[in-house]
Amino acid sequence: MESNWATGHLQVIRTLMERSAVYRRALAPVMTANGVLGAGAAAAGLMARVEAPRAFIGYWMAVALVGVAGSFLLARRQALKDAEPFWSPPTRRVAQALLPPLFFGFVLGLLLVARQGGSGGAPGAALCLFWLPLVWIALYGCALHAAGFFMPRGMKIFGWALVLASSTIGALGAFGLFDWAEGPLFGHGVMGLVFGAAHLAYGVYLYFTEQSGNET
Amino acid sequence: MNPEPFLQLDRVIHEKGRMAIMSMLAASADLSFTELRDALGMTDGNLTTHIRTLQEAGYVSVTKSFQNNRSLTTCSLTRAGRGAFANYINLLEQIVRQTRSKEQ
Repeated sequence: MESNWATGHLQVIRTLMERSAVYRRALAPVMTANGVLGAGAAAAGLMARVEAPRAFIGYWMAVALVGVAGSFLLARRQALKDAEPFWSPPTRRVAQALLPPLFFGFVLGLLLVARQGGSGGAPGAALCLFWLPLVWIALYGCALHAAGFFMPRGMKIFGWALVLASSTIGALGAFGLFDWAEGPLFGHGVMGLVFGAAHLAYGVYLYFTEQSGNET
Repeated sequence: MNPEPFLQLDRVIHEKGRMAIMSMLAASADLSFTELRDALGMTDGNLTTHIRTLQEAGYVSVTKSFQNNRSLTTCSLTRAGRGAFANYINLLEQIVRQTRSKEQ
């Protein structure tokens, strides 16, 4: 009997300590905003015919920077609204988990842009318009999966979904299932679908589930 | 059963609300008043009372500052608070071990 209440107390303490370390800002606005940005950027990229490898990479890196900055601003706005510190320990942990894969993706993009102007053979369109978007998506999935250890809800599953989507599309492309695999339509299309539509879908899901989850 | 660990339990911490506050603060460098209130589902008055008790025991320090022209109250465990909380958990574990060894 005495052991039961002591065990119960220890379990409560453990649960509360874990909850304390979890990032608890609402994610629905961030996901939806990034979804709108991704889908809009893909449509704009196709309409504006951003087709050259260098332009394509630069364009999507700029979109990514806008997305990251927008996400931080949305999180900061929530913190200010709730009269809470923005750069809290959970926010720091999430940012630290996101950083390495995102940093590598950014550096990879920069290197490929730099090589486009260099001598000795620039990286081809297939690398820049097909493989690079898939690598970016997989890295982003890894970043979300790592951050998912400090976040509630299905962030780890969403990260895995992005990695699996990237791997599947890559496999289909490698076996020649896309006639247009080397074209800009693929690059913008896959970025719009995976970054845009997937974020939108996840954002809508969170809108309907996050409020009730926070109330428990 | 040796009743000593039970008798040694810190009465300040051994209260549901205060134990919850101490647990939350033990896992974070600091937490704002609103974060604690929302996470624990306490009223402002209830949380204030518990924090005052913990402050008087020297377990919690409260810092008031301004962020974007809004007041921000932040709570954190003091060194004594961390020690007392670790001791409290040790005693709970001792109680669990004692009871289990007796059952076997």
